[in-house]
Amino acid sequence: MNKLALSVAVAASLGIASHSFADGPIDGTIYGKINVSVVNTDENSSDKWKLNSNASRLGVKGKTKITDGLYAVYKAEFEMCVDDGDCKGQTFTQRNIMGGIRGSFGTVWAGKHDSPTKLAQKKIDLFNDLEGDIKNTFEGENRVSNIIAYTSPTVSGFSGTVAMIPGEGADVDGDGIDDTGLTDGMSYSLSYSKDNLYLALASDKDVDSQDLVRMVMQYQMDNLKLGAMYQQNEDNLGTKDESGYFVSAAYKIDKTTLKAQYGFIEDDVDGDEEETLSLGADYKLSKNTKAYIFYTDNTDSEVDSSDDEDSSFGVGMEHKF
Amino acid sequence: MNFTDVKWSGAILSVAMLLSGAANSSCDFDTDDADGPDFLDKIIQCEKQQDSRNKSAEASRANNSVRVTKLYGDGSLTASGIIERPVAAAGTLSHHANQSFVARQPYSLRPDAKFEESVTIAIQKLHLEMAHYCAKGWDMQRQWTEANSQQQGDFFLHYQFRCTET
Repeated sequence: MNKLALSVAVAASLGIASHSFADGPIDGTIYGKINVSVVNTDENSSDKWKLNSNASRLGVKGKTKITDGLYAVYKAEFEMCVDDGDCKGQTFTQRNIMGGIRGSFGTVWAGKHDSPTKLAQKKIDLFNDLEGDIKNTFEGENRVSNIIAYTSPTVSGFSGTVAMIPGEGADVDGDGIDDTGLTDGMSYSLSYSKDNLYLALASDKDVDSQDLVRMVMQYQMDNLKLGAMYQQNEDNLGTKDESGYFVSAAYKIDKTTLKAQYGFIEDDVDGDEEETLSLGADYKLSKNTKAYIFYTDNTDSEVDSSDDEDSSFGVGMEHKF
Repeated sequence: MNFTDVKWSGAILSVAMLLSGAANSSCDFDTDDADGPDFLDKIIQCEKQQDSRNKSAEASRANNSVRVTKLYGDGSLTASGIIERPVAAAGTLSHHANQSFVARQPYSLRPDAKFEESVTIAIQKLHLEMAHYCAKGWDMQRQWTEANSQQQGDFFLHYQFRCTET
């Protein structure tokens, strides 16, 4: 079935469901953001100017009441490339797309989506989608296909998500055998939120060829927001055994937010190190619009080799809708 | 961009347009919330706000409906023999800025109906009424038809309209 036919079929099935089965109205909301920046990158002394789209996106999300206390929930989000219109050869590329059933028991959901481990990061990455995005330094920032998940209700501030990721014939654990089970990959998170404190413990098993454990903390003190993360991960082939930490701080002064973050991770197998440092400021132009400026330095240090250093300076704007 | 891309983009935009009515009344939802660990809660909470907003909108519409001035009676003859009840003197032009009215005219679809009873004449009369009360112009808010219970094949055409601001 081609993509157009598939989309029409999905839209049609939603329509049929809404008229035949749903008890309440279809509440759909379109949302998205445009985030563009002009960036000067200096990669090992090679200077280049770029216009970046920074994961600009368009999404639809909503819920439909099935019975009292039982809802169908959905979200479909697509990246659009504002800079050149070319998202890996497509006009739109798929981001988080999921559908699920939500009740007092929690939510069962499935789709292609950020893993519970990635979600647990809770935006302590203050330079997300920019050159300083922690995905450029740390493993575990995965958007996973074929994810089947359960998210518990929040009880006394605690919430958990566990996800199964069938291999569908791929060799996800690198043992040379195709994996066809339901739980070939697993990802879970347990979080606690109370007042201004957020804590999370997350783990992956055979996700993106990694086994991983991550701890996250975020705390807000008046105008100051602090974030921290500690992570250990090793790949399936035993060629990587990393551990590292990440800290971030944001301080709000009227319409301006000053931001800084630093991360470091070291591979115990070969001694390689990766480091990321970002500094920047956001200036809020309106409720949904901000201008920003940033500087990022990412360094890969390999034993018996010269450092690979990328530094970037950029200005940009983000508008959410 | 190849042809498949065009179709794919068109499909996405079509679905977006189908949902745009709901989107126009979206609740306060930060885009980045969609990728947060509590994105499911945000969907539910946001839509609960949406529900309450819908109720507010319904209440507002109900209040507005109270302010609509009916330009006709219940269809029965009054003692004076007048069925419709104008609220402005006939032959005068007036403009009631932002005020809403609802007018109606009878028409017939019976095979033996006269031309004077046709829907064309009913529409003509309704436009004369609208021009009478809203000399500077109007917005059409709603249009509907009710059957005349006393005569099969006869109907009342209703126009609800609001005079423009200036």
